Amino acid sequence: MSAGPAAGPLVSVRGVHRTYGTGAATVHALRDVSFDLTPGTMVALVGRSGSGKTTLLNVIGGLDRPDAGTVRVDGVEVTALDEDGLARLRRERVSYVFQTFGLIPVLSAAENVGAPLRLARMPAAERERRVGLLLELVGLAGHAEQRPGELSGGQQQRVAIARALAASPRLLIADEPTGQLDAETGLSVMALLRGVVESEGVTALVSTHDPTMIALADRVIRIRDGRLDGQEAP
Amino acid sequence: MSPRIRPPAPHWPSVRGRALADAGPLLLAAAVVAVVTLLAGAVPPLLAATADDAVRDAVRRAGEDADVLVHAELQRDDGPYGGRLRTPRLAEEVDDLRERVVDEIGPAMRAALRPPVASVSSPVLRVTDGSVLRTLQLVYLAADPRAGGGPRVTWVAGGPPGPSAAGAADPDREVPYDGPPWPVQVGLSEADAAALGVRPGDRIPLKDEEKRDKDVRVSGIFRAADVAEQAWRPVPWLLRPVPGVDGTGTTRLGALLSRDSLPDARLAFEQQDTQRTVRFSPDPGRLTTGLATSITANVVNLKAESGSSGDFTGPPRWQTRLDAVLRDAGTQIAAGYAQASVLLAGVLAAAVLVLLLAADLLVRRRGPALAAARRRGAGLPDLGSELLLESTAVTLAAAAAGFLVAGLVAPGVAWGWAVPVVLAAVAAGPGFGTLAAARATGDRRVPANRSARRWNLRTAQLRRGALEAAVLVAAVAALVALRQRGILPPGGGGDPAAAAVPAAAGSGTDGGTLPASAPALGVLAGALVLLRLLPAGTGLALRRSLRSRRPLAVFGAARAAATSARALPLLVMVTGTALATFALTLAATAERGLADGAWRTVGADARLDALRADAAATAALARRIGAAPGVRLAVAGQVTDGARVAAAGSVIVSPRLVVVDAAAYRELLATTPLPDAPDLARLGAPAAGGVPVLVRSGDGGMRPGMRMELRRDGGAPAIPLAAVGDAPAVDGADDVVLVDAAALAAAGLPVAANTVWATGPGAARAVAANAAGADAVSRENVLRARRDAPLTAGLLRLARAAAVVLSLLGLLGLVVGAAASAPERWRTLTRLRTLGLRPRDARWVAAGELLPAVLAAAVAGPLLGLLFARLTLGPLALRLLTGQPADPVLVPPWWPLAVVAAALPVAVAVLVPAESALRRRRRMSEVLRAGEG
Repeated sequence: MSAGPAAGPLVSVRGVHRTYGTGAATVHALRDVSFDLTPGTMVALVGRSGSGKTTLLNVIGGLDRPDAGTVRVDGVEVTALDEDGLARLRRERVSYVFQTFGLIPVLSAAENVGAPLRLARMPAAERERRVGLLLELVGLAGHAEQRPGELSGGQQQRVAIARALAASPRLLIADEPTGQLDAETGLSVMALLRGVVESEGVTALVSTHDPTMIALADRVIRIRDGRLDGQEAP
Repeated sequence: MSPRIRPPAPHWPSVRGRALADAGPLLLAAAVVAVVTLLAGAVPPLLAATADDAVRDAVRRAGEDADVLVHAELQRDDGPYGGRLRTPRLAEEVDDLRERVVDEIGPAMRAALRPPVASVSSPVLRVTDGSVLRTLQLVYLAADPRAGGGPRVTWVAGGPPGPSAAGAADPDREVPYDGPPWPVQVGLSEADAAALGVRPGDRIPLKDEEKRDKDVRVSGIFRAADVAEQAWRPVPWLLRPVPGVDGTGTTRLGALLSRDSLPDARLAFEQQDTQRTVRFSPDPGRLTTGLATSITANVVNLKAESGSSGDFTGPPRWQTRLDAVLRDAGTQIAAGYAQASVLLAGVLAAAVLVLLLAADLLVRRRGPALAAARRRGAGLPDLGSELLLESTAVTLAAAAAGFLVAGLVAPGVAWGWAVPVVLAAVAAGPGFGTLAAARATGDRRVPANRSARRWNLRTAQLRRGALEAAVLVAAVAALVALRQRGILPPGGGGDPAAAAVPAAAGSGTDGGTLPASAPALGVLAGALVLLRLLPAGTGLALRRSLRSRRPLAVFGAARAAATSARALPLLVMVTGTALATFALTLAATAERGLADGAWRTVGADARLDALRADAAATAALARRIGAAPGVRLAVAGQVTDGARVAAAGSVIVSPRLVVVDAAAYRELLATTPLPDAPDLARLGAPAAGGVPVLVRSGDGGMRPGMRMELRRDGGAPAIPLAAVGDAPAVDGADDVVLVDAAALAAAGLPVAANTVWATGPGAARAVAANAAGADAVSRENVLRARRDAPLTAGLLRLARAAAVVLSLLGLLGLVVGAAASAPERWRTLTRLRTLGLRPRDARWVAAGELLPAVLAAAVAGPLLGLLFARLTLGPLALRLLTGQPADPVLVPPWWPLAVVAAALPVAVAVLVPAESALRRRRRMSEVLRAGEG
């Protein structure tokens, strides 16, 4: 993996194609998608269900491979990485927030947040300090020892965001992070994301339907039937 | 208006679609049902067939003990003039008795017994030709004319015995009671004639017990047309000299009487000295357990109505051990069935758990589809009926296949044992599925407030606790019942047919289903306790791993803690391994018991019996055997059964008298696994009050410290004995008096060694090579015969087959449990991979999730199996199969147990990479997307 942050865009997507199935059942999920993301911005990826939002996020994050085109993140060509390279990319530069939170149920909130730091083999004292800071950042300092099952949905998503930020990624990818939350909680989660983008200097690419959430983004990328349908400020 | 209740309406395309989508798990459940129904269907009829074989084997082994003898005195022959009347038609009296007893025995006995042979035999006479002690008996034989009569002979010299000259001249002659010896003509076999050195026309020098001469002349020398003819079997001395029949060092010969010479033989002896006997020999090939029951009842009745042999006019006296032999066989059969029932109950319990697990796997796979069907409006009865149709079709087809194969393997398939498995297979899937569908769309939500959540939790815990308590109570009750009552039916199970019926019908043992389920229930209860402990263990492991620096340990422990409460996989693995251990231990213990029993019976690796009582020759023979290659030690001794020993209060007991060189015999014992007899060292020192002896008594009639006397024949003075210690069980005898040869010789009784024991790998060969007419007994042969006995061989085969099936079921529990939890596991692992976990590390985490339960089962399963083997093998009465006087000591088969225990962890080592390879075909995005669902 070529290392080191690059000057210019944090994310560079060029001519990405992705299809599923073959023959008559072929679905073109992404068609010739190209765009760049500037570091330290919060970008909303908007489109209807089935428009290709999740596929695009997966391709950028290295969870899926495009049929054609390239994706570079922080100067690293994601599409050229092998499994170990992708693992290192996720450990060091890209993190995810999912609609269903993806927390480990038997670990406390603090242990969940510290999971990426364990994978990065951070010393225990430093890890605990970092976890404390992150939980404070997401407003859950008082819930550190609670398990996911003892937290509300919004609190769980906050833990997921803290976990995503734990390894100080350059890019945070969030797929419908408020999809399972009520409007008020969802808004507070988006506000939190907005806040961490500013405080941590991270770039966030967030897929959403919600206009209220879209309003918090620095930029909006619209996607329709697998093609970019415009980029604009909210 | 009341709502209309409509019958369930299955949606056939859904049934078909679900079945095609989940063909794998359905086929797996079908395979389990097929295998278990095959086993459950085939074992009972195989057992029933084995029971018939066991009855036949028991009767065959009993030999003459199983013969039915009917004794009756001949009619008195007092004449009108104060003498005895010659009865020329005496043979007809014998024929009459034979006909009469044939009528008296019932149809069952007639079906199982060979045609009878009637006989008249004289007292045993001494041959007074000055040579070694030889005896002779006059015998008249008359086989059933319907079976060809006989015995058939060819006269090679002279002719058949005819009437004496006086008898021929006056067949109805009256002779005085105290007249001269009445002449009798007899025929001799070639071997007996050669041994006596007589020819036709010669008189055989004979005296009776009162030392009165007898006038017995040889009319001819015969050759038997068929030495295997039934009539000869009880009187082999008619064909050749037989040593040892009348005591150590004696040889008996026989002389054949004819219909014509029989009246003279009657007059040659006192009235009461000649007796009619009718002998029936059972035909083992015709015996079945059903017939055995009728015969036992019949014999008991006949014996109850039996008269006294001393009564000339009363009913005949019936004498046989056939009823006891059949009763013993019945007890063995009952024990065999009970032991088989225990093994089958274990297999069924594990199979039912595997079927529940397979149903759980199906429901997990179908959860979303069932929930979707409910949301589309499908009613629970409709869904339930669809699932029921599917499970019924799959189960019945699999069961039919299993029964079909069982029928081919063992005609007369039994259904009873398979019922729980079939019911579980039919009901589990629909039950779990309907419940899952109801929960998926039900109104039940997790309560918002904490106390309500706590209440729900406690209710669930209470429900689980009640279920566990029920299993525990059942296990304790079963164990108590088994230990208190034993596994045999009330009365010891002596009725062969009664013992055979329950197992043949596949309905468990007559001793009770509950005791037969004791090991299975006990193991299940143990597994439930382990299930309670495992979450605490995995929690502890998680807490420890959180303090470690190894992330994989944390994630593995976290997954293990999250899944440790899953009941069915652990229950199946523990039950499978524990009951496999139980079955293997049962087999190993029975094997060791058989081996110990063989050592006990032979007393060495090989033994020579019934040697001629020539001490010098026997000692030389022992030296020759001892010098043969592969022989460690050979020791000669004298073994006399039925020695007359006066014990306490002048009670005469009849122990086995063993005369050996005490030091050599102790050395011999040291080369065998037989228990040492340290008291043998005491025989060297003189004892006050008599020759020092060691004693062993089954009923306590002889004890160390007692003063006793060895009574001798012929008016020789008795030898005082002093019991100074405990004797070993020589060659399996319960009552033994063991004395040092030198001490006995010093007391005036020289040793006549008739037995040689030899140990070492070449002992059997050396003994066989030096047998020279004596009986060579090999421990290996005894062991092989016992191991190949139908019941024993059947049980050992069943135990090993059950161990294999149970181990496979345990492994199946691991595989199915892993398959059921795989989607969730790999979704979590994929999420961890989004945090930077490498693919190869994911495999370690997956192994970390599966290993705690697997290791718990691998350790606790064998331990539980051994524990319940320890608790239950005693009441299972293995001694009845091993031929030991006491239950064999538990023998854990360590290597097979190690294999059983290692199989599960090894399976994890195979399963995880295989699962990983399968999952890697799916992109991470697919896995995560599925998880969103």
